[in-house]
Amino acid sequence: MYCIKCGVKLEDTEKKCPLCGTVVYHPELTRAPAEPLYPAQKMPQYGSEKRAVSGILLLLFLIPMLLSCVSDLQPDGKLDWFGYVAGGLTVTYVIVFLPLWFQKPNPVVFLGIDFAAVALFLAYIDWQTQGGWFWGFGLPVTLGVAAVICTMVALLHYLRRGKLFVYGGAIMGFGVLVLIIEWLLSRTFQIPFVGWSFYPMVVVCLLGGCLIYLAIHRSAREALQRKLFF
Amino acid sequence: MGNEKRKLRWVKLDNAAKIYPAAMRKNWSNLYRISMNLREDVDVQVLQSALEVLVKRFPSIAARLRKGAFWYYLEQVAEAPKIREEYSYPMVFMDKEELGQCALRVIAYKKRIAVEFFHSLTDGTGGLIFVKNLVAEYLEQKYGISIPCEHGIVDRNAPPREEELEDCFPRFAGPVTASRKDTNAWHMYGTEETNGFCHVTCFKIPVEAALAAAHAHDATLTVFMNAVMMQALWNLQKEKTAPGKRLKRIKVLIPINLRNLFPCETLRNFSMYTIPEIDPRLGEYSFREICQVIAHKMGTEFTAKHMSRVIATNVNDERNPLVRMIPLPIKNMVMKAVFDRVGEKKACLNLSNMGQVKVPEIMESYLERVDFILGVQASAPYNVGMTSFGDTAYINIIRNIQEPELERHFFGVLQQHKIPVTVESNQPGGEQTCIV
Repeated sequence: MYCIKCGVKLEDTEKKCPLCGTVVYHPELTRAPAEPLYPAQKMPQYGSEKRAVSGILLLLFLIPMLLSCVSDLQPDGKLDWFGYVAGGLTVTYVIVFLPLWFQKPNPVVFLGIDFAAVALFLAYIDWQTQGGWFWGFGLPVTLGVAAVICTMVALLHYLRRGKLFVYGGAIMGFGVLVLIIEWLLSRTFQIPFVGWSFYPMVVVCLLGGCLIYLAIHRSAREALQRKLFF
Repeated sequence: MGNEKRKLRWVKLDNAAKIYPAAMRKNWSNLYRISMNLREDVDVQVLQSALEVLVKRFPSIAARLRKGAFWYYLEQVAEAPKIREEYSYPMVFMDKEELGQCALRVIAYKKRIAVEFFHSLTDGTGGLIFVKNLVAEYLEQKYGISIPCEHGIVDRNAPPREEELEDCFPRFAGPVTASRKDTNAWHMYGTEETNGFCHVTCFKIPVEAALAAAHAHDATLTVFMNAVMMQALWNLQKEKTAPGKRLKRIKVLIPINLRNLFPCETLRNFSMYTIPEIDPRLGEYSFREICQVIAHKMGTEFTAKHMSRVIATNVNDERNPLVRMIPLPIKNMVMKAVFDRVGEKKACLNLSNMGQVKVPEIMESYLERVDFILGVQASAPYNVGMTSFGDTAYINIIRNIQEPELERHFFGVLQQHKIPVTVESNQPGGEQTCIV
């Protein structure tokens, strides 16, 4: 049997061409039964050791949580501050140790989960303290930072080229974010809008612009490499 | 039991073997596989019994890797490892725990007997002798035939000879050293497979046709196949590099069996390598020019005098008293750092040709094919093992990335030289995963 796309002769075991992926099909030819080179669907089981370590780490996080719960309950039978400890520990666990459970954690997905955990924790603090700042300030800032960082990481993760463009864009994004933060602060906490955020915004936009300039101009990039190599 | 354990032989790692345990990492160890296909299904019980005999005869190969304070060493295994089942890909990661029990695996799958070696045990030549003897012992036990001691078959009931256990590198180290300076090669890349899966694509080609094509370019089969691979790499690099971007050097590492240069009968590592290159800065190369580059490089470096210099460079490092005094964990860190920085950057891939496998005539009628597969490199996605048996050459290309781009170009170059090719692989059927 020959591959109809690339023309290579295939063994009777091949369901598709190993060189171009074209599915082997010819209605008029019957193929002799043949033994595959390797058994299909028989994969080794990895990761038991890693899972054991992750399990121990989870236990190490649960112990202080349990202890703080008991200590908080001790004097009056009520939970006062335990929620903050539990929330803080959970956010730390989600950010640092949750990816260890997975073989190849996708950073883009996990960053999304991390920011969701942070937003939930902030919402809890706001609710507990009757702060009234979460919807007007906490959530928009978290979403803004998440949008910039997740976009940057996704582009770096999936694109092979254009890292300088991505870094430049991300830095400029942070500049715009600072401006938004000042506006949100003035709106939520009634602080007068004095425009201090323009200064960091201009600086980071210049820095981001420089990176984008370097990304566009190869000669400038090479000149800089010549000057700064170590 | 205690007495029995004390009798087990141990050997220091040879000069070439020292780097492999140090260079190991979480999901990579340096392995290779030699397999022989019989004409009927393998009887696992008989194979286990044959392996029991071999373990005593080859103490430096049927061995486990152990840690000393300053160096690793190999200790003969007390009993044969269990015959294992095949997975959907060869050379599944061998972790430190497994290496500490036995640094080789024997795998039975339908008609195939395969042995996977951790490279510290032995090189391809030693590995092939082990496999030949394992199969010979199996055939003798299974069919009651008598196989003569020729073409690498040894008397398996005799004790191992001291020459077989020798580290030959110090003996043949020359008085002067060679420079280690070398340029970096083009680094291939692609979408990495999950769970350590490796694709094996076997190109089966008639030896006669390949030899005729090689002779048409005044080349040997090894030179010709390396030229085909370099041409394929060149074409692939051009396809993957944006116009105006600088092309990088194409280099292929060719292992050399030093037993052909020096009088040595060791069954441990005794090989070196040469790395021919084509430099895109010098313009396009015709196929004949590539053949000439490889032939000249092999001609100048594949000499006893040159190799004695290269051996001396490596041996001097391990002889240095300061190096010897450094504790093993620190040595490991330094060696791994050197390996990462230098080891695999000097060539795009390794192409190891084991050559024509010869076995005693009586054995030949029981065998169908012989394969040699190199494991992928730690940081580069491809490697190639080649061997011939009977009138067919088996070229096994292994990769741990999804895209079979190099294989396509390799096939394209073989087609240009009118060499008929049959391809088989371990890719799972059904879903379409690769895009042209």
